Amino acid sequence: MLNDVTFGQYYPTQSFVHRLDPRIKILALITFIVLLFVADNFYSLFAVALIAMLAIAFSRVPIKSVLRSIKGILVILIFTAVLNLFFHKGEHLLAEWWIFRIYTESIIFTVFFVLRLFFLVMISSVLTLTTTPVSLTDGIESLLKPLTYIKFPVHELALIMSIALRFIPTLIDETNRIISAQKARGADFESGNIFKRIKAIVPILIPLLISAFRRADELGDAMDARCYSGSKIRTKYKKLKFGWRDLVAFFFVAALIAGVVLLNIYCEQIFPLIAEYIKVR
Amino acid sequence: MSDEFIIECENVKFSYPASEVPALNGVSFNIKRGEFVSVIGHNGSGKSTLARLINGLLEADEGKISVFGMDVSERKNVLEIRKRVGIVFQNPDNQMVASIVEDDVAFGPENIGISREEIGERIDWALEAVGMTKYRNATPARLSGGQKQRIAVAGVLAIRPDVLILDESTAMLDPKGRREVVKVVKRLNEEEGMTIILITHFMEEALLADRTIVMNRGEIALCGTPDEIFENGEILETFNLSLPRISVIAGLLRSGGMNVSNVLRAEELAEEINANFRLKGISAGQSSKRASTTVSSSHEWDIDVSDLTYTYSRKSPFASKALDGVDLHIDEGEFFGIIGHTGSGKSTLIQHLNALIKLPTAEKKYRAKKVKKGQPQLVFPRISVGQFDLSNKKCDFKALRASVGMVFQYPEYQLFAESVFTDVAFGLKNFNKKLSAEEIEAAVKSSLEIVGLDYAEVKDKSPFDLSGGQKRRVAIAGVIVTKPEILILDEPAAGLDPKGKNEIMELLHKLHREWCKTVIIVSHDMDEVADNCTRACVIADGKVFAVGQPAEIFARAEELESLGLDIPLTAKIASKLSENGIIIDSDCTVEDFAAKVTEVYKGGKDA
Repeated sequence: MLNDVTFGQYYPTQSFVHRLDPRIKILALITFIVLLFVADNFYSLFAVALIAMLAIAFSRVPIKSVLRSIKGILVILIFTAVLNLFFHKGEHLLAEWWIFRIYTESIIFTVFFVLRLFFLVMISSVLTLTTTPVSLTDGIESLLKPLTYIKFPVHELALIMSIALRFIPTLIDETNRIISAQKARGADFESGNIFKRIKAIVPILIPLLISAFRRADELGDAMDARCYSGSKIRTKYKKLKFGWRDLVAFFFVAALIAGVVLLNIYCEQIFPLIAEYIKVR
Repeated sequence: MSDEFIIECENVKFSYPASEVPALNGVSFNIKRGEFVSVIGHNGSGKSTLARLINGLLEADEGKISVFGMDVSERKNVLEIRKRVGIVFQNPDNQMVASIVEDDVAFGPENIGISREEIGERIDWALEAVGMTKYRNATPARLSGGQKQRIAVAGVLAIRPDVLILDESTAMLDPKGRREVVKVVKRLNEEEGMTIILITHFMEEALLADRTIVMNRGEIALCGTPDEIFENGEILETFNLSLPRISVIAGLLRSGGMNVSNVLRAEELAEEINANFRLKGISAGQSSKRASTTVSSSHEWDIDVSDLTYTYSRKSPFASKALDGVDLHIDEGEFFGIIGHTGSGKSTLIQHLNALIKLPTAEKKYRAKKVKKGQPQLVFPRISVGQFDLSNKKCDFKALRASVGMVFQYPEYQLFAESVFTDVAFGLKNFNKKLSAEEIEAAVKSSLEIVGLDYAEVKDKSPFDLSGGQKRRVAIAGVIVTKPEILILDEPAAGLDPKGKNEIMELLHKLHREWCKTVIIVSHDMDEVADNCTRACVIADGKVFAVGQPAEIFARAEELESLGLDIPLTAKIASKLSENGIIIDSDCTVEDFAAKVTEVYKGGKDA
């Protein structure tokens, strides 16, 4: 049963990463993802991975919770890894069986591919684990602000997101109530073939939709009554503050960029070494 | 209080587009600055429409409304009017825009372009005014109904309006939440001089006002001080309203020969009764014992619950214990009440009774662990309903649910089908797939007729085209269509006007007389329990706090009040009288109480 659990992934605790400005976290995440794909040798990739590990360590979120996010993409990860391993073309043939050919390059490519995806998911979940949906919305709104100059409705978008977040627990409660009520009237959601099950959802879905519309209507009235007009005079009470932690994080990210670029340039010659090593074996 | 009129309505008419009957048909009234006005009226009498017209959410078809001298029909005035007239609506959940309390309170001031520093001050002030300061950073989803509604009030106050309209804002709250909100409103009126318009179904709340407006079918039927309105109370019933219970008691006492005036508080009435007794020289007395209620002797459908403990989200950081060692026995034939405020665990308890929540021993995954020596034997919760043993996983849960009907709170929100007929037949078809079309039709027909609807008229209608009260009847019909042996209802009368409430209760008694063996109602209206139930139990913090006949339970007035629960008015007066040595042993219904008081009074005359 779904019940009173904080939705999303947010892991409530106090840590350096938790207290960072959501904007710096979002920007750091984007930088990190770009760097993951820029890093084209093992040294630079190792540097990126090290930063990811540090971020997880500083977030004080149990590693188990972070790893849980991998579970969702595990199947895709293995599937594409296997495909890459067998069908990626290279120069140095290692083994051959039927239509499968394994090259040295394909092994390296696959390892890179898996590591990149792995860290991508890990670091993204660090963001959602350490940032409440509310401050995430605030961060996105603040970052998108320049788009208002091209008439993009940033504020409206942020309001829609925050209202959606606000109503998730309410609608989950509602769904549970409706499920119970229809079960009490003998509705069966657990047996029968796929068509029967889809049909069984109708008595849940319709009341839920009607209730969502009713709520939307009432919320609209309540917002109107509280002087909402979407006008330009609207002020904002909560301002995101850029603190010393954010400055530290900023330099950290800057150092990361520099480090990866430098490693990429100067350690390139190490790559053929590894390739040769594998070939020799 | 100055004599300046701040809201003036003149011959206002309004119709909703889809309806032929006008919602408001020529309404005129004025409201002065600093006044506390209550508006009462049956469901659909136009009270809420009135609130929306004043605030510019709706536009009148005819007539003139001016607020602070501004004409509401001119669009340029609307924003300014909304700044000065705030509305708090019925459902606290549907008024909140943000997931954090202070962000939500800030929403209004943000909209009207207040500076950041001042918004901060306004949040401080508004939360202080509603007594919610320490919840500033809380999540509304985790607050109680009363707390949420106070946040909604704070959200409106932060705009600093001169007038506060409460549009049935207390209808969805339990008595505790209702008291919290009413207290805040009363204080705002008295200390801050705020003008209040309180729209309500609760006659007791209407009494708090300086002036009461009674609406009936889109017109103002009566207007005057609460004293004047409730003086000639009989007329209220023709408007689908009821007298406050205290006026009913006073009326009964008067017809019993006592000289009591129409007072509005329990203490005052007790004082008046005492004055009567003193006049006749009665200093102590005792009424006859109340008649003990007997229930059917057959015990085929008894309900037995023992050691029931239930924890939500076990093994997570959010685990919360909803039930803690509940033992309860309900005999066949009872009209049983379950009392407790929101979050006490009463809903969890009733959901166990028809296995919507299954006992751990009945869950397939469950495996009993071997008990180590020296450790106490694990106690497993057990529930049996009639011949069904709910802790046995082989129990036929479907048959159980057919025999134990469950009507949830606001059951009309679970209607889904395209016609009333299909919706009512839904449960019947689920439970018994072999029924012929004629059998289904007969069952649906009798079920709709017993809830008081005309079968031929409603069967092909969409349930969503019916009125609120009719929808609820259809929803109840959809549960009783299987003729359950036991019927459980969670707050069956919530949100209805006094007449609607009475009708639902009459319906339940009718079912109970005809074929439904046991009726269990969950309620936080103590008067409802006192009037209807043979026995009741009080649930507090997941435990059974008290169980017995209403009179036995309500004798423990102080303990109940410490739990934040109300006691019926009759019990309140009786406890005041007992301080003066007069013991009234009534079954807590209004009639019996008045009869017992008169008996003592007359007994005094003979002596």
